[in-house]
Amino acid sequence: MIEFDDVAHQYEHVASVRGVTLQVRDATTTALIGPSGCGKSTLLKLAVGLIWPSRGTVSVEGEVVTPANVRGIRHRIGYVIQSGGLFPHLTIADNVTLAARHLRRDRDWIARRVPELLELVQLPPDVLARYPIDLSGGQRQRVSLMRALMLDPDVLLLDEPLGALDPMVRHGLQEELRKLFASLRKCVLLVTHDLAEAAFFSEHIVLMREGLIVQQGSYRDLIDRPADDFVRAFLRAQRAIPDTDA
Amino acid sequence: MRSALLIALALAASSLPLQAQAQPPQIVIGSKVFTESVVLGELATQMLDASGVGAVHRRELGGTTVLWSAMLRGDVDCYPEYTGTLRTEIFANESLPSDAALRAKLAERRVWASPSLGFNNTYVLGMRKDVAQQHSIARISDLAAHPDLRLGFSNEFIDRADGWRGVRAAYALPQTNVSGMAHDLAYRALAAGSIDVTDLYSTDAEIAYYDLLALVDDRKFFPTYDALFVCRAQVADRAKQVLSRLEGSIDAATMARLNARAKLEGVPESQVAQQFARERFGEHTTVSDETRAQRIWHRTREHLGMVAFSLGAAILIALPLGVLAFRRPAFAKVTFAIADVLQTIPALALLVFLIPWLGIGYAPAIVALFLYSLLPILRNTHAGLADIPRDLRESAAALGLSAAAQLRHVELPLAARSILAGIKTAAVIKIGTATLGALIGAGGYGQPILTGIRLDDVGLILEGAIPAAVLALIAQALFGSLERRWVKAH
Repeated sequence: MIEFDDVAHQYEHVASVRGVTLQVRDATTTALIGPSGCGKSTLLKLAVGLIWPSRGTVSVEGEVVTPANVRGIRHRIGYVIQSGGLFPHLTIADNVTLAARHLRRDRDWIARRVPELLELVQLPPDVLARYPIDLSGGQRQRVSLMRALMLDPDVLLLDEPLGALDPMVRHGLQEELRKLFASLRKCVLLVTHDLAEAAFFSEHIVLMREGLIVQQGSYRDLIDRPADDFVRAFLRAQRAIPDTDA
Repeated sequence: MRSALLIALALAASSLPLQAQAQPPQIVIGSKVFTESVVLGELATQMLDASGVGAVHRRELGGTTVLWSAMLRGDVDCYPEYTGTLRTEIFANESLPSDAALRAKLAERRVWASPSLGFNNTYVLGMRKDVAQQHSIARISDLAAHPDLRLGFSNEFIDRADGWRGVRAAYALPQTNVSGMAHDLAYRALAAGSIDVTDLYSTDAEIAYYDLLALVDDRKFFPTYDALFVCRAQVADRAKQVLSRLEGSIDAATMARLNARAKLEGVPESQVAQQFARERFGEHTTVSDETRAQRIWHRTREHLGMVAFSLGAAILIALPLGVLAFRRPAFAKVTFAIADVLQTIPALALLVFLIPWLGIGYAPAIVALFLYSLLPILRNTHAGLADIPRDLRESAAALGLSAAAQLRHVELPLAARSILAGIKTAAVIKIGTATLGALIGAGGYGQPILTGIRLDDVGLILEGAIPAAVLALIAQALFGSLERRWVKAH
């Protein structure tokens, strides 16, 4: 569970989040959506302690995130970004196991965990010895997800994880990820700018604009009862919404 | 990165025996970087050795300031000096007209002076005879009528109160076209006709060789420069007795002949001094001359020692500073400002500044080289870290790695290429700059270059210049292979 309690944040005097209160429940996938610069990625960075609120608090699993406890909290969070963020100088195996080795987790545990994760994200074992540059964009995001899941975190924060992929790869991965999230039953917070993707992944969609939440609810709620003209305009701007009766 | 550090440290450690080897015998004789001083230093050393007082000669240490402060510090016990220089350079603000007053003043500073050696090596202004005749110049005062003459003086002469500044004032000379150059190059410039007038020493061998005219000092501007030895007062009486034996033994003609032997005939100073000691005092002194291979090996060890020690220390200091500067931007500003200023201090000036604290030899050379290599390593470390994409730094932090682990596993490896390039730059620059170490007694490849320039011996210059260039190429290649080994292509 992640709780944002009246959280505000400023980037050099410019408010990027201006007072957000939001609860992200366990075993659900919540989608954060909105135009560029609306503050959705900022909320993720606040949750993982890469930046700090100028007002309000962020709690992860009931614990308020502070500089003192942030490292411990990060071990309970998996964080995946659009570019993957894989370290180019490390092999896939080293990328995936870096945090676990740093925490001196049992070697046997690590040795068992890696094949599990390979199976989960559907990658062949021979990728382990390779470097990120040798992999395709889709494969890199799978590895990034492996790395995020390595320590079996309670929370997954995904910042446009499929945003840089071509439509075919993206489509396949969407299917896989939705199944994966359903089976993992973790607290997942997904940032996307694509309403179709948000609707595909999530029962609960949070629409943001200029640092504030404009409306939240199911896709149906947004369509049927748009809160204001901005929501209507945002909905109209999306094309080719696929069937969402999953 | 750690391996690079280890190699630098190992290199440094391998040159340690050098330090231990430099055990000083009883008496250390110094000399300035001109032939006469080296011959006199060699003579004193051999005479002391022959009389049973152990002595070693640290030759070509630099100018007056270097030798004087080295002696006061005790790095050097004695060196050949001139009364005029003591009056105008060392005791510039005192009036010491008589020799007795000068000796009393020296005694106050706990310096003993030997009796005069027998010649007065004063400054003269010289011209090519043909040029002088063409302009009807025979006296310094005649120069006033020819404002277009091009003057080229040794750098020391230009700056000295008893040098160009004084002459110009005393004779009201109008020339403005004045350039500074090394004393030994001035002769060649004069012979080639690119300058018309230069400063000479009255015992210079070249006056006869180049057929020069020494202009008459008709207003008696230049003071007397009687040659003698100055020593720390603590030096053993036995040594003072030996040096006193040289009293009046060398007249100006003899000194000019000895200079010519060394400088124009290319006889090593040690042999010139040995021959003189035998002829004049019947002393059979010993000379230990190294073979060329031994000499080059010796210089290589000195040079490598300077480079490796200073590079190792610079890596140990500048790398952490670069990391700190990256983490604390306010600190970066201050650090870079200081490093920038250090970089702008001329190498020779820095070396001389360091002498009062560190004496002469290895220590100031290593400290100066160390200071010069801080900036490239610091800047490249900072730039390498700052160039890491924000995504990657945030990913490392988001994994819950400690700051140290982020640095070790992610940031330093990603900045390695830039850091290594900084170390390479520092090393290559250093190999060149270390040749200046010879000016303050640190030896190295600068020693043969210095001697070669003094003696106009291209072979000797190359004996220093070629190994220095080869060493720089080796360093380039070494860092190139380190880079291929440690920096992943990405």
